[in-house]
Amino acid sequence: MSDLEAYRAGARAFLEAMAPTYGRDARAGNSVEQDLALGRKYQALKYEAGFAGINWPREIGGQGLGHLEKITFDAEEMRFGMPTAFFSISLGMPVPILIRYGMGENREHSAWVKERVVKALRGEEIWCQLFSEPAGGSDLAGLRTRAEPDGNGWRMNGQKIWTSWAQYSDYGVIVVRTDPSVEKHKGLTYFWVDMKAKGVEVRPIKLAGGDNHVNEVFFDDVRLEDSQRMSPVGGGFGVALATLMIERYTATDSAGFGPHLDRFVKLAHEVEINGRPAIEDARVRSQIARNHAMRAGLDSITSRAFQMMMAGMEPGPEGSLQKLVSVRSRQKLSELALDLQGSAGLAFDPHGSVKDNWGASWLNAPTGRIAGGSDEVLLNTIAERVLGLPQDHRPDKGVPFNKIPA
Amino acid sequence: MSILYDEGQQAIATESRRVLEARTDKARLLGLIEQVGRHDEPFWQTAVEQGWTALAIPEQHGGLGLGLVELGLVAQACGAATAGAPFLTGSYGVAHALAAGIDPALAAEWLPRLASGDATGCVALAEGNAALPNLAAVTFADGRLSGTKRAVSGGLSAAVGLIWASCDGSPVLALADLAGAGRSAVDSYDNARLYADLEFAGTPARLVAKGDVAQALALDVLARLAVVTAHEQLGGAEALLHAARDFAVTRKAFGQPIGAFQSIKHRISEIYALVEIARANCIHAASSEGGEGFLLAAADARISATEAYDTASRDCVQIHGGIGVTWELGLHLHMRRARSLAVEQGNLLFWEDLLVSQLTGDKA
Repeated sequence: MSDLEAYRAGARAFLEAMAPTYGRDARAGNSVEQDLALGRKYQALKYEAGFAGINWPREIGGQGLGHLEKITFDAEEMRFGMPTAFFSISLGMPVPILIRYGMGENREHSAWVKERVVKALRGEEIWCQLFSEPAGGSDLAGLRTRAEPDGNGWRMNGQKIWTSWAQYSDYGVIVVRTDPSVEKHKGLTYFWVDMKAKGVEVRPIKLAGGDNHVNEVFFDDVRLEDSQRMSPVGGGFGVALATLMIERYTATDSAGFGPHLDRFVKLAHEVEINGRPAIEDARVRSQIARNHAMRAGLDSITSRAFQMMMAGMEPGPEGSLQKLVSVRSRQKLSELALDLQGSAGLAFDPHGSVKDNWGASWLNAPTGRIAGGSDEVLLNTIAERVLGLPQDHRPDKGVPFNKIPA
Repeated sequence: MSILYDEGQQAIATESRRVLEARTDKARLLGLIEQVGRHDEPFWQTAVEQGWTALAIPEQHGGLGLGLVELGLVAQACGAATAGAPFLTGSYGVAHALAAGIDPALAAEWLPRLASGDATGCVALAEGNAALPNLAAVTFADGRLSGTKRAVSGGLSAAVGLIWASCDGSPVLALADLAGAGRSAVDSYDNARLYADLEFAGTPARLVAKGDVAQALALDVLARLAVVTAHEQLGGAEALLHAARDFAVTRKAFGQPIGAFQSIKHRISEIYALVEIARANCIHAASSEGGEGFLLAAADARISATEAYDTASRDCVQIHGGIGVTWELGLHLHMRRARSLAVEQGNLLFWEDLLVSQLTGDKA
């Protein structure tokens, strides 16, 4: 057995021991608050077992292992439906960025950072990422929240939106405009912010599927110390890009984070079309086959990326196809699954999991096609970065932010 | 589990592409379209000279003893250049069946000739629109074949044919020396494939396999040919992706390269997605050769490669606009090949059904 396979076996043994208390079945029917409390307990156990901060440096509280161990654990964990969503943003982006950019020029904040890291890994504290705004989502550099010099620190005003888990967050990382008179991506600065500070107001947004995990966050004269600044003044866009690049090869799911194809095949055996099992219907078979071929392709891309990393190579850009291809096909397959059930498919369980409930999978699929890079932005990125096609016509290029036509 | 190509495999990919780019001539290929019964002879000489005919034939029979991964890479280079004659697939199918069949003498007689390129083979499994009928209408009795196989790829010039037939209601695979068969050319939209109707009227043939063994072997041969063809389709689709990209960055309209318009960019990105999914499936299928999941992997590869090549040829022409539909530009070489390859070795309908049957264990 290779070291990695041994590691996988150890991870699986831990997860199997945890599953009866923290897994998908144990969580069924939990309120969000109950689930969060359960998640915090699970996160603490993960930390104690050495499965938190797997590829982070030891001196900061991590395990000092490689990226391969990290995605191996994540891929195994994904199968058990553990309550990890509350911490996925926190540990995915803001905290790694804090480690990289939050120590201070002379590492004067390292003790404070380490305390935050360990508390985040144990699920005691949660960090959110305050990037998107009403006027800047895909166009990140178009953001308008501003911070102005205020004595030896800054005063921040404005609004962020679509901030996951902000209502449970203790801290956040934020990009704001500190100079509106230069080109838009040059006038931004990166800070961390205390989400409990005076002037911070969080308002949950109810999404179409019924859940409230995203928020609007308002800042009204919020005081920031200059020690909270994590980029040079005007250098925030670079750190923001680093945040988005930090986990280029995360554990993926060719089911588009929806139900596995096996569940669709099972459904097609259970229901009938014209008195025959739906699995015998050519239209159903065609969709199963097309989806299988697509998902098998994505799985092979993942498998080869993994092998490339093991061989010390940089995986190819085809990994960027995963979310684009898998989520939109999950959306269509979920529609077909509801069609197959006919009027029986009209019943809807508002607490159904997107991994095993077709209604929940369908209703929440649009979020997956928009968040973390919309389909359109991903297609543009592939065209420009991978295929070398020209950028779109950009009337805002080279223009100071405050001169861009509104 | 998929694979990363090793150095030898990478060398085969690079060298086959280089040779074909240097030796393929668009005008020559365009000239073949309207001529029935002619194939690209310089391609075939190249294939023999490069040892591609011997690639996947066992060493004891004069071959190089390599496998589907290597043959797939050569097929991919052929697909990119719309090079070729159908013999690489057909001869391989015959050779694999003979090596796995019941008659070592038959294998010893034909495999060295197929490996050297001295003889070519074709595979005739289909009848009508059935890629592998449950019971073939062509019959085999007392060492003789009777009946007709229509539009057999490579059939016009192959020396031997692997024929799917029936014998007293039971399936057989038989090898026919085609010198004893009637052949009539099919005038097709892709004439370089050398389609021919093969007519057997008591044509002498020798048994390769019978009963359940024949059934399993025929499906295995078809799946192997589908994987080789999927690589050829992948090569074609990738060439069209590059053609679309290159055109979109140079052609200008409304004061900018057309590749700056999202309608064009996104179309090209979508082709890229189909190509990469097909590539991943092709590599996985070729590396699963002989393994438990091979049929399923072959179906995945075949379905995604067919979708990639058909879509790429449709959309690449569309991106080119008027120039794309001219005879001279030659994108129709790919359009034609995308369709002929989509039909040979079982169409999408066949492979979709086969995939689901593999998945569920049901027979629909």
